[in-house]
Amino acid sequence: MENYTKYRLKDAEELSEVLAGTDNIFVVACNKCFKEFQSVDEPDCDEFVRLAGEQGKTVTGSVKIDFLCNSIQTERKLAGLIPEGTESVFVISCGLGIQTMAELVNKPVFAASNSLNYTGHHGMALTKKACDACAQCYLNVTGGICPVVDCSKSLLNGQCGGAKDGKCEVDPNKDCAWEKIYRKLEETGRTAEFAAQPVQLRDYNKVNFKVINEYVKAIREKRLDGYYGGVHPSERKELSEHCNLVRFPESDIMVIPMSQASGKPADPIVQVGDYVKVGQKIGAKSGFISANVHSSVSGEVIAIEERRHPATRGGLSVVIRNDHKDTLDESIQPKGALEDLTPEDIVKIVEEAGISGMGGAGFPTSVKLAPGKPIDAVLVNACECEPMITADHKLLLGYPDEILFGLRAAMKAVAAPKGVVVIEDNKPDAIELFRAKCEAYDDIEVAVARTKYPQGAEKMLIKRVMGRKVPSGGLPADVGALVCNASTLKAISDAIQLGMPLIERIVAVTGECVKNPGNFLVRFGVSAKDILAACGGLTCDDAVLKMGGPMMGIPLPDADVAVIKGTNGIIAIEPDVTQEVECIKCGRCADVCPMELEPLYFNRYLKDGNIQGLKDMNIMDCMECRCCEYICSSKIPLVARIKEGKNAVRGMK
Amino acid sequence: MLITKLKSKEELLSLVTGKVFIINCHGCKEVSFPEQEADELEKDLLAAGKVTGILTTDYICNPENLKLRLERRRTMIDEADAVLVLSCGVGVQTVAEQLGDKKIYAGCDTYRLPGYQGVTPLEVNCDQCGECFLNITGGICPLTACSKSLVNGQCGGSKDGRCEVDPDMECGWERIYRRLEAVGRLDALKCPVQVRNYATDKDV
Repeated sequence: MENYTKYRLKDAEELSEVLAGTDNIFVVACNKCFKEFQSVDEPDCDEFVRLAGEQGKTVTGSVKIDFLCNSIQTERKLAGLIPEGTESVFVISCGLGIQTMAELVNKPVFAASNSLNYTGHHGMALTKKACDACAQCYLNVTGGICPVVDCSKSLLNGQCGGAKDGKCEVDPNKDCAWEKIYRKLEETGRTAEFAAQPVQLRDYNKVNFKVINEYVKAIREKRLDGYYGGVHPSERKELSEHCNLVRFPESDIMVIPMSQASGKPADPIVQVGDYVKVGQKIGAKSGFISANVHSSVSGEVIAIEERRHPATRGGLSVVIRNDHKDTLDESIQPKGALEDLTPEDIVKIVEEAGISGMGGAGFPTSVKLAPGKPIDAVLVNACECEPMITADHKLLLGYPDEILFGLRAAMKAVAAPKGVVVIEDNKPDAIELFRAKCEAYDDIEVAVARTKYPQGAEKMLIKRVMGRKVPSGGLPADVGALVCNASTLKAISDAIQLGMPLIERIVAVTGECVKNPGNFLVRFGVSAKDILAACGGLTCDDAVLKMGGPMMGIPLPDADVAVIKGTNGIIAIEPDVTQEVECIKCGRCADVCPMELEPLYFNRYLKDGNIQGLKDMNIMDCMECRCCEYICSSKIPLVARIKEGKNAVRGMK
Repeated sequence: MLITKLKSKEELLSLVTGKVFIINCHGCKEVSFPEQEADELEKDLLAAGKVTGILTTDYICNPENLKLRLERRRTMIDEADAVLVLSCGVGVQTVAEQLGDKKIYAGCDTYRLPGYQGVTPLEVNCDQCGECFLNITGGICPLTACSKSLVNGQCGGSKDGRCEVDPDMECGWERIYRRLEAVGRLDALKCPVQVRNYATDKDV
């Protein structure tokens, strides 16, 4: 691969001249980008410090910073680093880093390096191909070979006539670009087409820094809306968003895992041969972080055994032969009016109903509802930022009153004075509906968030809506916030108003490889295989199946997997055929990480076995949203690496 | 990272005479990709029955991964008379090299992002001149902040601090003067006359 490092140190003579008038200098060096990430140690900084020492200059300190041009991160990393008594700052970087520093530091800033000057701009991968960004692409008339970059003279209308034996007269090591273009056009039978082209004129006026700065300002505003980072994957919600919600029939055999929430699996409290009814508790929570499990059908327990489930930590499942009578358990009774219930009653009902977060993480809701800290606001997470998934959207449109009831119950449980329903702007119908419904309540409002992934991540939502940052290793309650998924609130409503524990949810079945996508109300224990079959099956043999969305969904080795509390979707998408290549420090992972981490280091340090390094780079703060892996230009499976790294850090203790 | 804009509809329609296979590169989408315009164009072409397939992918400038992805869609590509690539110029050239026997059309024009491949889209620019002048200009680039890229001081044409070429723009050299004054380095302007060297580095 090529090495496209952007700068080199100015020569010693020039540096001596610049250094002559200065003293007490602080050195900032960029760790370089667009080169294979082999070493975390770039030599330029030490070389410059040595040179300054030889000139008898006092160096007050030095720092190496990644992606110096990332002004937000650089400002954060630089805080308090430049010691008192520093008179000037020397920057080793491309021109962008130097200008960024000059804006950030209120001291004389000097450039110790030159940006390298070469024709054209490479892509995100380190190839020899370059583009001069001329703003009037000629590749259409030249068979895909760029005359601006490949011809020494950047001629647009044919060869200069100076080439000898196919070699350029300016640089005999170079092929004549116009001979290459001619051969290519000849091969594809396009010479006549080329000859008919009018004379091409280059418009040098088009590359205008001011216009582009305005453009960049606009995209930066979009990028940084609400919180740092995030990505905008193709939403592709149109595949299933028009499909009405349909109840999916229960299967003959239902497999209900005891481990559907985070924490410990529930203990089965039924025996093989028992007759169970709809809503009957069949698994009892086995610890503080654990949740009850209920039967979703009536019928006979035919097995209690280990069943593999990629979305859970394994453990037992209760297998029930459905008698299709749908006999309700006697315990299913409304729990009374909200006004008559105490906060403790609400927590107890939620705990008994086995409700856990239905957004994916599956934290037991009853634990969340007893935070032991004052809560200023309960946020309803109705963002559904995962591409493709439309389950919460259908829920919002179908059950607004239940969601608001659940919200009021949660607000009462934690004595929160305010509730905020947060909806992404890609669901205007839901926003309108909730705005109308919320008029009835003084203490509940609707907040509209710009569509950006991972808007629905708890910490991002709090930052976006409340402007508060959950501290590293902290919980939302530390900043007075409680975040509940809209589905979870609907479940709280059902538990109070109907007395029905959590036994079903809305599942979006979608993806370009599903024949007939749809949104279904599904009881837990139905196999994804049955649902996919009912949707007409798959359109391609090698489709990738996931439980959840394309970003955070869990890959399914096969479809015979039960729907559980956290299953917001089952998707079948086309496989992406790629192979991992070396990290080239393109810096995009650091640019999109909403937790403001530098994922490229997790990969590097894991390879080096530097576990302390992983810890120091705050790997434990990663929430595995997969933005970095999505954006990675080298196709590195970063989330898998991060999981591995986290385990290594855990093992360190 | 580069900024891409769709070519005019007229020009695009004149290119698509037969059936096309379309490649969208979303790799640099967080910085720039005319997604909406591309969607509209593709809808129109699909409706006209001119599309044999669409590959929406990322980083087609990476030749290895592009190859794998193209192989998977070989039939659709074979059925097409031409391949329309919506990406920067690097992507179009990479596709052209791999699909040697096909007509390849560039659907976009490519503009430079401030400071070529700087990692973050910034409001400062670098023209990669190879002989950084920032030392004598207080860290404001005279090449990109001045309309005329003057390296030895203002042209004298600015009015009320505004550039005479573009009155919406501040005079770069006034900004430089203010910055140097603020950091107490006005003496930097007493440096010898600067002469630009337009030669490029070949060995990169």
